[in-house]
Amino acid sequence: MRTVAVLDLIGLSFGALKERRLRSGLTILMVVIGAALMTSINGLGGGMNNYISEQLGTLGANVLIVTPSANTFGPGAESGLQTKLTPQTVRTIERIHGAKYVIPSFAGGGTLKSGSETKTVSILGMDQSKTVYIAPKVSFESGSFVSSGDSSGIVLGYSIAHPSNLAKPFASIGQAVFVEFSKVENQGGVEKLVTKTKAFQVRGILNELGSQSIDNVAFITLAAANTFFEKSSVYDTIYVITTSTDMNDKVETSITKFYGKNIGVISPKAMASTIQEIMGTFLGFLSAIATVSMFVGAVGIITTLYTSVMERTREIGLLKAIGYTRETVLLMFLAESFTIGLLGGLLGLAFGIAGAYVLIQLLPFGQGAMRITPSFLPTDLAQVFLLACALSVAAGIYPAWRASTLSPITALKKE
Amino acid sequence: MTDEGEKFAIETLDLRKSYKMGLVTVHALRGVNLKIRHGEMISVVGPSGSGKSTLLNMLGALDTPTSGKILIDDVDISRMGERALARFRNRKIGFIFQSYNLIDRSKVTKNVELPAIVADMPKKLRDRRVHELLDLVGLGDKANRRPNALSGGEQQRVAIARALINDPAFILADEPTGNLDSKTGEEIQNLLLRVNDEKKATIVIVTHNLELAERTGRILHLRDGVVEKERVGLTPQSQASDSDSGMVTSGRA
Repeated sequence: MRTVAVLDLIGLSFGALKERRLRSGLTILMVVIGAALMTSINGLGGGMNNYISEQLGTLGANVLIVTPSANTFGPGAESGLQTKLTPQTVRTIERIHGAKYVIPSFAGGGTLKSGSETKTVSILGMDQSKTVYIAPKVSFESGSFVSSGDSSGIVLGYSIAHPSNLAKPFASIGQAVFVEFSKVENQGGVEKLVTKTKAFQVRGILNELGSQSIDNVAFITLAAANTFFEKSSVYDTIYVITTSTDMNDKVETSITKFYGKNIGVISPKAMASTIQEIMGTFLGFLSAIATVSMFVGAVGIITTLYTSVMERTREIGLLKAIGYTRETVLLMFLAESFTIGLLGGLLGLAFGIAGAYVLIQLLPFGQGAMRITPSFLPTDLAQVFLLACALSVAAGIYPAWRASTLSPITALKKE
Repeated sequence: MTDEGEKFAIETLDLRKSYKMGLVTVHALRGVNLKIRHGEMISVVGPSGSGKSTLLNMLGALDTPTSGKILIDDVDISRMGERALARFRNRKIGFIFQSYNLIDRSKVTKNVELPAIVADMPKKLRDRRVHELLDLVGLGDKANRRPNALSGGEQQRVAIARALINDPAFILADEPTGNLDSKTGEEIQNLLLRVNDEKKATIVIVTHNLELAERTGRILHLRDGVVEKERVGLTPQSQASDSDSGMVTSGRA
């Protein structure tokens, strides 16, 4: 048969679907729901994976993060008996085999003022010459790190220097910025809010890394942070750089052996893969539900088309009487189920993509610092689309076969 | 009697058809022999259950005989495969049914061109023929209507146009006026006579309508699956003028 004739036949199939508009629409909807669910879930999963890789991927592979307590919510945290991270802790860890650099740091929050603009930022105090070991991709847009002796130097993360809501940079190199830090102090039995302000000189501005934990941070020296935030040499975090990634586990075990549960050791890479694994399982489960709904949609197609074949028995009889072969009738009904799959698949992708953006707004991680954008892989989209089409065509096979084998006389006799 | 060398348009040889209906075997046709010449217009009459429709279905290759032969243009169609039969029905036969069997969701033009689509007729030619035929049946102005917006007579005209689209050698009509009032029925009769005359198509009509039967060249009376008697119609046509000598049709006694 020539292509023109095939197009005419597809036109006839389309007409048949249009005639039963509501029923066809509902059948297409079944496919749409399955395809949209799969698309949304894929998109959210992709977005979360990207987020985790971005956040943790900026850290080097041989970085371990040591925090005061492993069980923040456990009994140890409540009793206040957790081990403090002190210069003594640093010296202890430095002696562990496999630990190459041990980099203590202070963390604090404050308000940064530059001219008339203010911005709430995280401030990290550490030996800045070691930053490259923690985040190997760190590079400077301008300026350089603050040397250890420079107590008034500050380096700004990209997002601080270039806030998205300002047309001009928040601050530029060599400029003075003011850091405001508030804390509650007990003065003679009365609690009072004390605000300290210190001027810093901008020594460097970092390039964008794509990670909130660096782009949104201002860096000062270890000593400056100790004094300004009144940390009394109790560190918030100690970064441990191992001699190689293979040593991560060994070093981690050694630290844990030494401090027990009073200290937490996290390997960002291991954490990322654990989170991704858990999320993968969860998303896989959701995906399975979505796939089941696709199959339910396919059963819907079987029902719809089968009913349609029964209703159109006379029409099929006529077609056979005027010379339509089994193959032609089969093709016409498969074209109907393919059309359902095609429309359902396309609409499903569209709704799925839109749905992922809506869902991300409704879920807790849509806003704030943890901003996840759905990410759609072309291969995932193609897979969902092809699955919708293939399942629909497969669902059409039985009804189409029934139609094709109808005998013209019995079909025409039926009232 | 019969000229031995003569080629008939349709010839059946001891055509038999029986089928099971529950536990009973029904012998719908019990040995039908008939010869129909090219261009002849004949009617088949008889009471319900006499086998009229079964015979027509056999001639139109919609059904296969239990035994016997059906020669159409000297080719035994009872031995053809599914595909060949479909092609045969498509190119050689135009069907007209009592209940028109039009597709209501499709326009009149689409209904008429249905057989031409699988005949691979080019779209341009199809369109031209559709309009020619709609003019012929007097529906040139209703080409874009849907069948359910037409009267019964008009619907049957559409069906006739559809039957003619591939220029078939044979028109098989099963009670074409059965659903129509007498005036409309007569118009359809006239149209069929005209088609027979102008298109030179061989036409077999199964009917209860004796008036219509009388207007055809020859009338076959079927009873209990055999041809009981045969007579010349009131308006014998030129092609069939020597029917009393040439048309041997006999049932098994």
